[in-house]
Amino acid sequence: MDLILFYFRKLLTILKNEVLVLPYRIAVLLFFFILLFLPLWMEDPYLLRILTLTSIFAILAASWDLLSGFTGQMNFGHALFFGVGAYGAALLNKYAGIPPWGTIPLGALTAVLAGLIIGIPCLRLRGTYLALTTLAFPIILLGLVFALPGLTGGELGISGITRLAKSRITSYYIAVVVMLGLCTTMWKITDSKTGIIFHAIREDELAVRASGINTTRYKLLAFSLSGFFAGISGGLYAHFMRVAGPSTLEVSLSFQVVIWAVFGGIATIYGPVGGVFLLFPLMEVLRFWQDYRILMFACIVLFTLLYMPDGLFRWLREKTEKECPRCKIRNVAFRDACRICTAPLD
Amino acid sequence: MERWKKGMFMLAIIFLFFMSNVTLSFGQDVIKIGVIGPMKFVQGIGHWNGATMAAEEINAKGGIQVGSKKMKVELVQADSNEFLSIPDATTAIERLITRDKVHYIVGGFRTEAVLAMQDIAMEHKKIFIGVGAAHDELCLRVARDYKTYKYWFRGSPFNSSFLGRTSFIHLGTVGAILKGSLNIPKVKVAITAEKAEWTEPMIKAAETAIPGMGMETVGIWRPSAVATDVTAELSAIQRSEAHIIFTIFSASVGIPFARQAGELKIPAVQVGINVEAQKDGFWQATRGMGNYVATMNTYARGVESNELTKAFVDTYVKRFGETPTYTADTYAAIIYGLAPTIEQAGTLDADKIVSLLEERVYKTPSGTVKYMKDAQGRHLHELTWGPGYLTALGVQWQDGELKGFWPNKWKVAPEAPEITYKGMVPYKIPPWMIEKYKK
Repeated sequence: MDLILFYFRKLLTILKNEVLVLPYRIAVLLFFFILLFLPLWMEDPYLLRILTLTSIFAILAASWDLLSGFTGQMNFGHALFFGVGAYGAALLNKYAGIPPWGTIPLGALTAVLAGLIIGIPCLRLRGTYLALTTLAFPIILLGLVFALPGLTGGELGISGITRLAKSRITSYYIAVVVMLGLCTTMWKITDSKTGIIFHAIREDELAVRASGINTTRYKLLAFSLSGFFAGISGGLYAHFMRVAGPSTLEVSLSFQVVIWAVFGGIATIYGPVGGVFLLFPLMEVLRFWQDYRILMFACIVLFTLLYMPDGLFRWLREKTEKECPRCKIRNVAFRDACRICTAPLD
Repeated sequence: MERWKKGMFMLAIIFLFFMSNVTLSFGQDVIKIGVIGPMKFVQGIGHWNGATMAAEEINAKGGIQVGSKKMKVELVQADSNEFLSIPDATTAIERLITRDKVHYIVGGFRTEAVLAMQDIAMEHKKIFIGVGAAHDELCLRVARDYKTYKYWFRGSPFNSSFLGRTSFIHLGTVGAILKGSLNIPKVKVAITAEKAEWTEPMIKAAETAIPGMGMETVGIWRPSAVATDVTAELSAIQRSEAHIIFTIFSASVGIPFARQAGELKIPAVQVGINVEAQKDGFWQATRGMGNYVATMNTYARGVESNELTKAFVDTYVKRFGETPTYTADTYAAIIYGLAPTIEQAGTLDADKIVSLLEERVYKTPSGTVKYMKDAQGRHLHELTWGPGYLTALGVQWQDGELKGFWPNKWKVAPEAPEITYKGMVPYKIPPWMIEKYKK
């Protein structure tokens, strides 16, 4: 009992001294809280569908950020990982009868394999050349899908696969919990030693190599990790929609991911997640003006990026928080002195 | 203070405006029908136009008699955006069902999207009449899992197997005309299909069917679905000495192919499927070079499959300025499918309507609808194809007008009666072809 009380007190202390002191951390806490408790007072299947799909795409956008935002490996064909995960899960479910809890991770492992297959030939490429090469891979796979209609269902895709869960609420919780878990994992990775190396590769690969770090290994690791997380989202999508079709590999999806991530703010993880949680439901809100829906969406994205080129959530964070010039600890913007070292904040 | 008052006044007006709309929607007994389709594209526009005509006609007569009361029809439009995003299509149908609370749904076009939308409608036990997607799988699901999928019905067109069969009949008909008129001993056919997966089974079937009809396949050409220049393919076809080009086109390649074949005066007639040639704008798009191109179609001005066709086509043309395409069959799905069945059932209950609708045989402007069962006697909710039911049309561009040429004295079997739809004209062979082959 004492131990429980000790941990409870510790939790309260962390909440008081670490979380509730910064608007950004309060927002993340609220985000977790709202997503986890929303179905308790809102069971609208339409809203739950939107949030389930949003959660699935949030994993996809965050996984793109891990590879392209942090490591700087500009991937314009991220739909490949998503599609491989979706098709992998669908094929395993349809032909081997494996349930979703088995097909989703196995599909993700197939996406890891795809990540390695792409990563190895792309190691020597950078910038525009890498972007164009990665763009080609989902198109090649799309060709394969159409060439093997007996296996992949061709244009029709693979349909009639097992539902993610029997009820909408369960599907919602699976997607949300997996999303929160995976995005936290991705954030932890980027905050670790590996994450610092990812950052360094993006900034100056030559310098990293000169420091004795095997950048090839880290770049392949980034491709594989990104492929794994995107593959999970593809598997979740296939089982939620009950269809894994050519649309999961379309170029438009690859660009959509880039738009979400850039809108939210790249190299942050929380930015792409926030970007999806704003833009995906926004398209639904804009249904009231059906004829100009896409135009309005484009205008909103354009104007946001015009005034907030680093992304909306980075901009918001910059406006609400200040970094201490001495100890580098972040403080709420209205503070005059640092909450840790009391150095004056300008 | 003045600004505050003005603000409050504006707010009050906005509130009243919204309340008046809410009252209109919820204050009356209405049957809500969701119309879902790619509304920015010609297919979705057809969905909406057809449904609008049906709702107006029903409401002009006071509505649908449901038990002791008349209920008007209210349409709810949903842009599925299905060509660009499948998730968008699924959220659109979910919104129709859970937010707009529609009673029934019509529409859908892209098969991959319709499969996903079908699952959602079935989950909510909503009747969904598909008007656009032709894949067999949509109806096979009804037979495999009737309890879940019984709320799905095919409205238009008939399935892709029947589409293939009809185009082979057109090919055989034109082949026989060429053989008879030009004394060609063995008609040669060039199969030309756009590079798309849906054409694969049709190519395979054509390779088997063509020799069976006493003709010869001289080659298969696969231009890109979005090709803008097909002179290489046309030159090769000309060298192969083909008499017929059996086209399998749904995309924009149908226009340059027809235009360049006309410009080069290729001595071979085009017959099969060319979706671009079904549209009124084809003549202008090909600058008249698409003359004599033949394709399968559902409607043509002046052609009557039955007594309902003329009124529908004429009203549609008058109202929307173009000939209806098959996605405008939302009209038939609502006015001849749903409305009389609701009246017969005397209730809006989906289960009762399903049990009545699957047994009904009723006329629509494109033919008679009867829902099929499979070989084991299980309900498919699939449209019956054939004489007396739905057959589609063979149409040909003749001097700027799309004319019907099939069925014209069509006999399913030697002893069967001849079938001719009103307004049919003889098939015309291009003069440059007559010049080349007439001896």
